[in-house]
Amino acid sequence: MNSHLLRIALLLSAVCTLASAQTAAYTNFVRQIQSPSGVQWDASVAATGEQLSPLPVDSAGSRFELWTVLASPLTSYLLDTSYVGAYIPVAFVTLHSEDPYGPILRTRADRPFSVVIAVSGLLSGTTVPVSSKSVNIFHYVQSYGVGGTGVNLDRSQATLLTQASIAQNGTQTFSYAVTSVPGADRSKVRGEERFSVFTLADYQAPVTQIASSYIQIWPVADGSLTGLTQGQLIRFSLPQVTVTLNDLYPSSTSYVQVYPGNPQLGTVGKTVPGSVLVINDSVPQSRVLTLKGYDALFDNDGLWTMELLTVTPFGTDRLAYVSFNVDRTIKIISNLTTDE
Amino acid sequence: MNEHAIESIRRVRIAWPLAALCALQTPLCPAASPAMRDAATHEQLAEQWSKTQQDDPMKLLPAAQGKDPAGKPPQDLLSQSDILSFGGMATLVPKHAILLIPKAMAERTRFAAGSTLLGWAEFYARNRGWITTVEVSREQAEGLEPLAADVSKRFSDAPNLVVATYQGGPISVLPPKAPRPATATLTENTKP
Repeated sequence: MNSHLLRIALLLSAVCTLASAQTAAYTNFVRQIQSPSGVQWDASVAATGEQLSPLPVDSAGSRFELWTVLASPLTSYLLDTSYVGAYIPVAFVTLHSEDPYGPILRTRADRPFSVVIAVSGLLSGTTVPVSSKSVNIFHYVQSYGVGGTGVNLDRSQATLLTQASIAQNGTQTFSYAVTSVPGADRSKVRGEERFSVFTLADYQAPVTQIASSYIQIWPVADGSLTGLTQGQLIRFSLPQVTVTLNDLYPSSTSYVQVYPGNPQLGTVGKTVPGSVLVINDSVPQSRVLTLKGYDALFDNDGLWTMELLTVTPFGTDRLAYVSFNVDRTIKIISNLTTDE
Repeated sequence: MNEHAIESIRRVRIAWPLAALCALQTPLCPAASPAMRDAATHEQLAEQWSKTQQDDPMKLLPAAQGKDPAGKPPQDLLSQSDILSFGGMATLVPKHAILLIPKAMAERTRFAAGSTLLGWAEFYARNRGWITTVEVSREQAEGLEPLAADVSKRFSDAPNLVVATYQGGPISVLPPKAPRPATATLTENTKP
């Protein structure tokens, strides 16, 4: 039994590392679920650290589930699971994205991510049980639907994308350039990708999930500037501009800037007052802003460009731009005539 | 927010995640990502997606045999838990961990909107006045052994809500099971 306890310690260590990423709005819970009895034990853990589970692993194994719960609205998210048993290999699934947000890993529909699957405890030989010789990996994808956020998602409806077998201990890394979550518009897909490791069934135990983890995929933002048209000549005050922002990434800062000259990516201009919008949330957001009284930014006549930008963990994206001419110089043409 | 502040956010947010992922996933990270780009379009992503489907790295491994074993994964912790809520604080315990709810405390098993969620240990430390814990054994939790007689008797007139714990952590207590019928045992050295 000691070896089991050691394994549990390692598992709890791993989940506590995840738990350390919690923010104030989330509370983490670790549940140990005994098999086959179904008894559940709440393994209270600190945000960081490790501990031995005092509850011995049951005859057919124990599953550890790491949950995080949002108090408002009261919603729970399964972050990670691990299964420990006497004759069952151990596996860990770790996902990586460019966004450091936790506890729920996430990325955007146009960004890469990777998954690392570490398997140990596999045995070889003719006398060892089938379930100890290899494990199966399953890759599932599931859309949240238009405007969906994944709350109350029925995960039994996920689509199995790929399945593979691993018969050797070690680490496998799989890299994906973009998401495979289903959706007609590839820039607007939202959903999740899940990687699960299962044992093979044998006479001692049924097929058992020993590790699983998922990543949320959020859509690429889009936006528009209305009130100014391409090539418009501005003779008096600058017009009111309506800024429409859709699907802003949950961690993003968006703003409008102006600069003289033609549009050129990478140009740093003057930020239009009242246009800065900071989003720090768990799901994408949409907003409409109105800009007016920003004439003071234009200190010279000529061609100007207005750009709508959004800064995310993935870099800066230009969502919209428009160029227009400013000509506010008053020219007085007159004749001076003398008469004697 | 001025330009300097925005630039600072931009640099901080990009710096470590890109570096961290690139350290692990060099093939994924373009050597020189543009500082600013136009938002990706459906057409661009459809092309990348098509390539991703063809080059799925999992397809390099032997295919797993058999059908999808996923079944119905755990849906949510709330459906597997009971709630304790009082004084602006709340916690979750496994279903069947609450052994007794006095009538006067029924309201405290419902989540009060706006409450702060705490782990069991912290919640219990602040609510010892109305919660009593009873340590149970593994066999009692599985329903293989009944709770001690004196413990059951204490429940009848207890003013406090009672939670079953194992080593201090709340644990579900299954209904008592009928004792198993005696079965014959095999011995390896049996001679004909």
